[in-house]
Amino acid sequence: MQKRSFLGSFGLYGTVIVVCGLLLFPIYWMVLTALSPRTQLRSYPPKFWPEDPQWNVFSDLLAAQPFGLWMWNTVLIAVATMILSLTIGVLAAYALSRHRLRGGQGLGLFILTSKMLPATLLVIPLFAIFKSLGLVGSLWSVVIAQSTLIVPFATWMLKGYFDTIPAELEQAALVDGCSPLAALVRVVLPVAAPGLAATSLYAFVISWSDFLYARTFLTTSESKWTLNVGIATLKGEFVTDWNTIMAASLMAALPIIGVYLFLERYLVGGLSAGAEK
Amino acid sequence: MANIRFNNVQKSYGPFEAIRNFDLSVEDGDFCVFVGPSGCGKSTALKMLAGLEATSGGTIEIGGRDVTDLGPGKRDIAMVFQNYALYPHMTVRANIGFGLKMRNMDKAQINAKVEEAAAMLELTDYLDRRPRALSGGQRQRVALGRAIVREPSAFLMDEPLSNLDAKLRVQTRSEIVKLQKRLGVTTIYVTHDQVEALTMATKIVVMRGGVIQQIGTPEALFETPANLFVAGFIGSPGMNFFRGPVEVENGRAVTRFGDQKVTLNVAPEKLSGTHAIFGIRPEHMVVGDTTMPGAPVALSLVESLGTEKILHFPTPKGQALEGDTGIEGSDDAERDAQTMLARVIDDRRYRDGETVHVALPEGKVHVFDPDSHAAL
Repeated sequence: MQKRSFLGSFGLYGTVIVVCGLLLFPIYWMVLTALSPRTQLRSYPPKFWPEDPQWNVFSDLLAAQPFGLWMWNTVLIAVATMILSLTIGVLAAYALSRHRLRGGQGLGLFILTSKMLPATLLVIPLFAIFKSLGLVGSLWSVVIAQSTLIVPFATWMLKGYFDTIPAELEQAALVDGCSPLAALVRVVLPVAAPGLAATSLYAFVISWSDFLYARTFLTTSESKWTLNVGIATLKGEFVTDWNTIMAASLMAALPIIGVYLFLERYLVGGLSAGAEK
Repeated sequence: MANIRFNNVQKSYGPFEAIRNFDLSVEDGDFCVFVGPSGCGKSTALKMLAGLEATSGGTIEIGGRDVTDLGPGKRDIAMVFQNYALYPHMTVRANIGFGLKMRNMDKAQINAKVEEAAAMLELTDYLDRRPRALSGGQRQRVALGRAIVREPSAFLMDEPLSNLDAKLRVQTRSEIVKLQKRLGVTTIYVTHDQVEALTMATKIVVMRGGVIQQIGTPEALFETPANLFVAGFIGSPGMNFFRGPVEVENGRAVTRFGDQKVTLNVAPEKLSGTHAIFGIRPEHMVVGDTTMPGAPVALSLVESLGTEKILHFPTPKGQALEGDTGIEGSDDAERDAQTMLARVIDDRRYRDGETVHVALPEGKVHVFDPDSHAAL
């Protein structure tokens, strides 16, 4: 490889630093807000690190609110949504990718149109459906509602990934004695790991950041609230405790970082190298 | 180990007929090669035999058992793919043993068989690597290992050598033949390369446009091609063709090559028309022997490979074979109907532009019907 010139390195690292700065500054500001005494929040000129960081904001939050329960509900919903969406998405994407279905092209596009509908449009009919099914107030309502948004996109993402996997791989597995499902599970899915990881991450993040569905379907009891619903209630009518809200938001963001770190190794592609030629 | 039978197998994709009236019987232990230009249906025929494509009609038998409606895993066959199709997430050991694992063989037994196959293919040192850490030739051997370890009743190979470089291809070609002889397993091998077909096969099936053109041993195909297509496809460089009149002299059929009279080995009553298409292989042309009746030709190009030389000279005026001759798709698809080739093994030096004496020996000239292109 050609050695990068000094100016080239300068440009590259300069760009990386600017982009990271733009992305990380809001997070830094969240930390700053969470730790600053309330009186200092709107001081001018702003302080870039509080003289007396209020570390107890986290313990106060955990003591005052059922934060653990909200977190648990959110995890349950996100994991269930991820599993449900991925299961449906994998099977649908594999079928669309491998089988020349009558009208397969049209069907694929039709799946995508449902993704074009905004969630706010779906929320009212979904509420009516869940009400008649007796699902309002159950975490399942949110899982199903979120899946309606995630499945179409997951299907398309995975179909694109499956299209890059040579059909000979499954054919070899079939000749080796696999059933079609076994060929999918034992050969195609491991090879598609980067695509699965990216899609799972997408599903998890979308589900984690949902507010609309949880706020609509889970209003009945505080014990079913998710993090986002819970955090929203911290904003008071007269007083808003920004320290607590920022502390809660920070803690809510941690699992996403954890999931990302876990999936990162699969996200790095190139696993299918060596299948051919 | 088993014989393989195709009984009037058909395959169509909507209105497009990919395979028509495919009838073939391959005996136990045969090395049968399907050869033809791309799109001739040879891979489709193989995939139907493997169970990876459904047939549209007819039946397929392996070892006397009708497998037409069985899945690929139940046909007791092993397949080597053109791109190898190794499982990239598994080690070489797991790749080779996968078929046995799927058949619930116990671990120790699988391991022993894998080691044995690996030793046969000189893969022992690579068993714990993944495919991406192997060279092309090694990957190819893993694909072979995955096939032989199963001890199937037939091997199916779909252009397994086409991704190797020329030298390795020749080497692997003979290794596959030796391996097949040693194991005695019936093998169906698909290729577009007629050299592979001639060197490897005990039986060749030449296909074109979904229809079998001829079935026979390499020698039979080379010596008595059934039609113009087979004649042009088999052999390298390909057969020379020219048009000529048909006359009868002293009860024998003769034609003309330039000014030379060529006696044909065909009964005159078979030649109904007034003209026909004639073919002669470049290696059968006799150059420089003036004791034989022949014609002088001016060399347009001399390609020398040392002792072996390919001499190019123009087809006699008015005798070139033009238009749709059905020989497209052969190795030298760009063949120039205006040029004929002679292949000589000779230490004499030939110069471009030199005039040499060319003779067409009796008995070496093939005669084809000008309309049906069938050999006469």
